[in-house]
Amino acid sequence: MDERIILRNTDDPLNASIAGYMAHGGYKALEQAVGELTPRDIIDEIKSSGLRGRGGAGFPTGMKWQFASLDPKFPKYLVCNADEGEPGTFKDRPILEHNPHLLIEGMIISAYALQSTRGYIYLRGEYPHAKRVLERAIEEALASGYLGNDILSKHFRFNLTVHSGAGAYICGEETALLDSLEGRRGLPRLKPPFPVNSGLWGKPTIVNNVETFANIPYIVSQGAKAYASIGVKDCPGPKLFSVSGRVNKPGVYELPMGISLREIIYTHCGGIKGGGSLKGVIPGGISTPIIAPENIDCPMDFVHLPKYGSMLGSGAVMVFDDTVCIVRVYERAMKFFEHESCGKCTPCREGTAWMRAILGRIERGDASERDLETLQDVAENVTGKTFCPLGDGAAGVLLAAMKTYREEFEYHIKNKRCKVQ
Amino acid sequence: MIKITIDGIEVQTDREITILEAAKQVGIEIPTLCTFKNLSPSGSCRMCLVEIERLSRPQTACTVKITDGMVVRTNSEAIMRARKAVLEFLLINHPLDCPVCDKAGECILQDLSAKYGAAAGRFKEGKRTNPVSFEDPVIVRDMQRCILCTRCVRTCDDLQGAFAISVINRGSHSLIEPFSGGRFDCEYCGNCLSACPVGAITSKLHRHTYRPWYIERQVETICGHCGVGCTLTLQMRENTIIRVIPDFEKGLNSGMLCVMGRFGYDYTEHEERLRSPLIRKDGELVPVSWEEAVEFTAWRLKELVKKYGGGAVAGIASGRCTNEDNYMLQKLIRYVLGSNNIDSAARLFYRPAVSYLERMFGQGITANLIPGIANSDGVFVAGGDPTTINPVLGIAVRSVWKKGGKVFVVGKSGGLRSNIKHELNHAEGAGALVLTWILAKVYEKKNFISENSIIDKKLSALKVPDMDMLVRVGVSPEALQYTADELVRLKNPVVIIGPETVLYGNGSKNLFLLGALNYVLNGRLFVLMDEPNTQGCLDMGCSPGVLVGGRPVELETFGHKMENTAGMKTPEGTGLNLFEMINGANSGSIKAMFVMGENPVFNIPDKKKVESALQKLEFLAVSDIFLTETASLADVVFPASAWSEKDGTYTNLERRLQRLRKGTMSSRGRADWKILADICKALGMKESYTDVKSVWDEISRISSVHSGVRYESLIGRGGIWPYGGEPLRGIEGDFEVEGLEDMPELPGFAQSGRVILKEDKSLIHSSSLSRYSPALMGVASEPLLMINPVTAQSLGLSDNERVVITSDKGTAVAILRADRGMPEGVAALSNTFKDNGFRSIVGYTIDPTLKSLNITDRVVTIERAKQL
Repeated sequence: MDERIILRNTDDPLNASIAGYMAHGGYKALEQAVGELTPRDIIDEIKSSGLRGRGGAGFPTGMKWQFASLDPKFPKYLVCNADEGEPGTFKDRPILEHNPHLLIEGMIISAYALQSTRGYIYLRGEYPHAKRVLERAIEEALASGYLGNDILSKHFRFNLTVHSGAGAYICGEETALLDSLEGRRGLPRLKPPFPVNSGLWGKPTIVNNVETFANIPYIVSQGAKAYASIGVKDCPGPKLFSVSGRVNKPGVYELPMGISLREIIYTHCGGIKGGGSLKGVIPGGISTPIIAPENIDCPMDFVHLPKYGSMLGSGAVMVFDDTVCIVRVYERAMKFFEHESCGKCTPCREGTAWMRAILGRIERGDASERDLETLQDVAENVTGKTFCPLGDGAAGVLLAAMKTYREEFEYHIKNKRCKVQ
Repeated sequence: MIKITIDGIEVQTDREITILEAAKQVGIEIPTLCTFKNLSPSGSCRMCLVEIERLSRPQTACTVKITDGMVVRTNSEAIMRARKAVLEFLLINHPLDCPVCDKAGECILQDLSAKYGAAAGRFKEGKRTNPVSFEDPVIVRDMQRCILCTRCVRTCDDLQGAFAISVINRGSHSLIEPFSGGRFDCEYCGNCLSACPVGAITSKLHRHTYRPWYIERQVETICGHCGVGCTLTLQMRENTIIRVIPDFEKGLNSGMLCVMGRFGYDYTEHEERLRSPLIRKDGELVPVSWEEAVEFTAWRLKELVKKYGGGAVAGIASGRCTNEDNYMLQKLIRYVLGSNNIDSAARLFYRPAVSYLERMFGQGITANLIPGIANSDGVFVAGGDPTTINPVLGIAVRSVWKKGGKVFVVGKSGGLRSNIKHELNHAEGAGALVLTWILAKVYEKKNFISENSIIDKKLSALKVPDMDMLVRVGVSPEALQYTADELVRLKNPVVIIGPETVLYGNGSKNLFLLGALNYVLNGRLFVLMDEPNTQGCLDMGCSPGVLVGGRPVELETFGHKMENTAGMKTPEGTGLNLFEMINGANSGSIKAMFVMGENPVFNIPDKKKVESALQKLEFLAVSDIFLTETASLADVVFPASAWSEKDGTYTNLERRLQRLRKGTMSSRGRADWKILADICKALGMKESYTDVKSVWDEISRISSVHSGVRYESLIGRGGIWPYGGEPLRGIEGDFEVEGLEDMPELPGFAQSGRVILKEDKSLIHSSSLSRYSPALMGVASEPLLMINPVTAQSLGLSDNERVVITSDKGTAVAILRADRGMPEGVAALSNTFKDNGFRSIVGYTIDPTLKSLNITDRVVTIERAKQL
């Protein structure tokens, strides 16, 4: 029996079809929700389950839902953020490709709870296979009466569309995603108003991550209590970790919230590749600050990681051993941020480009001590001053790396070459 | 009441304003770059960061609304560092070419850098390069200098509604580009120019020819191009206009201008401006002194009146001249020469439309405020494109759409095509059919009970045309149904009437239908007006049957008043209208004519007829700024001063009185009122006028409408109708509608190979005047023939080909431009370009009810022009 919740049955190739999914008990939670529960019951259940959004910010899902459901405006829109673009992150992909009906079922239950009639899955443009899988799954759900204008003959209407992004990282930011979905340039919007009150086309909109929706059927069928018993207090439930880098068994792991980095690396992923020594771990995608080896006993959840100066983010664990040059890592990361900065606000637009240029010179051995000072100063000038978290993250992770691995930066400057070679 | 503290100073307000606005109230300056008048906050430049107690991150003052008890700091060390940082970020890629930048001296980046910036740079990487484009005729785009505040893009999208420019690329590679690529090919309003805080988007007109501190003088005046009457500022050095800029604090246009207003000022300095009075001697116009020209004119007029009587004299006034100019012409013709034969080009559309509507509903029915359009929830437009005839009024219509209101356009949707849900574009000649259906349906749905029995009787006589017929003229049932359904839901509608309702027949019927529709909907009426003072021209009595202030000639009381104040009597009986004057000249009953600021040869259809009529006159005097087609036939030509060279008043289409202020004196021309007053004086008039104000004083004494309005008070809201006085009421009466009961007939389509021609109003041009503006000619230099692409194809013609258009009345040459907005079998040509004007190649009849122009002979053949 598969113990997993989110990745349950994903080893069964038939699970992506509605027949396979239903054979494993799929859509029972939906039938239960629509048949026995009121929208209010579901929102209360989600609230007491303690579920936090899995996109990166960890905002309590039940609270978000309540805000949207209290807004008197209709229609309400339901949007699934499947724009999985954070470097190192590939945790939603197995859901999208191997468990699409779990996502769809989660969305339909959410739509019922929020009295939404229209949903969109904003899918990463580089996931064409997932698109095909999802579209087929939606058609199957329609044909089976789980989607459409009269779901389960309960006069409940909900339709779902997959929309592929065009390859901008910023469109993973929920308001930029909404702009993009409306057909505009994806740029983050001013908040407030928040999407729960004024989102897609100015209407109340819930934007949740793929993994968040995938948790909903379990909470509805097994109850908030059962769910809350998994993981840690204040941050319960299972979590997907996409582990990459210098480990023996990289991949997507479903583990309880609060598991330590050490367990992930050494128990589940088979330890460091080639038996080298651990140099650092990025715990939640490139936008989360790097963690030094002495801190790898930290529990991986939204509550504890900030105490170690980092964040859980998307749960994308990137493991670096002593063959990896940290300067090179952050030069490459900054190239990414520069490329993906939308250009709306000054510090991010200009700062990421400037930081990348200085990092490039440090990496090539063409920099002075002054440059390191300037780099530090530029990063500080970006931090806390940008329109959205993109620039903030870019500068923040660099500052953390420069603090922890300062001698590596200095080595590059002094010796005009890399320490690791 | 919300109380907050900014830098220790307490601010109290009862409105939920932003920190930026609150700080401004107590005189605390928070620097901004991306914030701009009338634009919603963007929060993107990050220049206005402030500290708010209990919040860990600095916040943008332009976006955060104040809440009670908020404590804000704008001058902490951290904030000063943040400002310095933002400026450093902006300057690393900014070219620092201030010495050759037109914006230097009024550049916000420059000013803020001086105030908050660092003393030295520390950016070692190479500056990024972005394109600099000179391809455009009037706008230079230097993307090196751009700071990506997006004020231009937001102005274009949110205020102008043109959606012509956008940010392209991403991140530090972002730049602003028109969708068309190099040239803007947009509406050329140039409002992005006033929005740009740096030298990234600048005007080509005065590039490298000035510095802001070169400006010696500036005056606030009113635009002289169309009937909106935008407030603008002329900036001058010596006797040259350096540039025209909008005034964000004053005027009905809230800082918005259109292409004509912003760039079309340079005609005043055209080299063909008349330099001296001219008299025809031995068939040639030769320069003479002012005294000689005035005396000669007075002598000739006196002689001809003596010989043939006052009725043999006629005057043509102008909507481009001021109220004072028009008043003085009417004084000359009526009270000095004793003739009521005075009219103007207002006769062609504006006057019949407005006076018909006033007969239905009373004086001032069209005197509604343009800025108020934006508060409407729905606008119904028929007979012309407001975005080209009165562009700033057109922007107001778009803003209705922007706020979620509905826009309906009967006919070609033109500049409103993005703002409508359904096209109601119909086959040529079917406008009345469409309007009848809409009015009848709305009347039926509204269950309307009229208080006006005359209108009610006519409304109940309406017959709803068959949907089949409407489908046959190309209008979809869905669009019609939608229009009727939505119209009845409107709470605060606006109805806008354009010239096509009158120009091509069915005038009284169209006006009745639209007037009645507005009445049933309880809306506000606007009549488009293409010249700045057409309304004023009428108010000044430049109409054969109406005296100053709108009193009919027949009303004796007014005659006495005039006699008492000016010592002259009003001639008896209604005079001849514009068309009757032309006929009179042709038949010999009119012997002398004074034409002021008008070009009837070019602007009245049937050029040959008008030309030969004017040639038959014994005496023709013209005052104008150029030697126009009409002036070149004259016996005396007076060089007039242009719009920028005179004081006076204009009355716009809202009937708002606004003051024109003298800027430059680049020509030797004199104000028309002065020329006319001199002639009157030479003919024995007692009054003398020291300045334009003394003319206005006389007008305000005589005109009941303008009674007591002081010249000095015509600022701000001072000039708004009914000018503190009482509008003339009680002359609502029965009115004729021609063919109301007739079932509309299906218009006959043109035979193969022949096309029906209409007049096109180009956004870029202001009738024939703008052909003297190098800037506007740079944007649109050649006459265009707009034609349906299918029709063009069936004629074997393709886009951008030079074609010859031939009618029974003449030929014109134009460049063919396929336009999907034109119905099949229809083409449109503007009346702007010399020798190729629309009106020169069509004929006309007179509408029996409206006594207005009914353009005929519109069936033309279009062929490829022979290679030269």
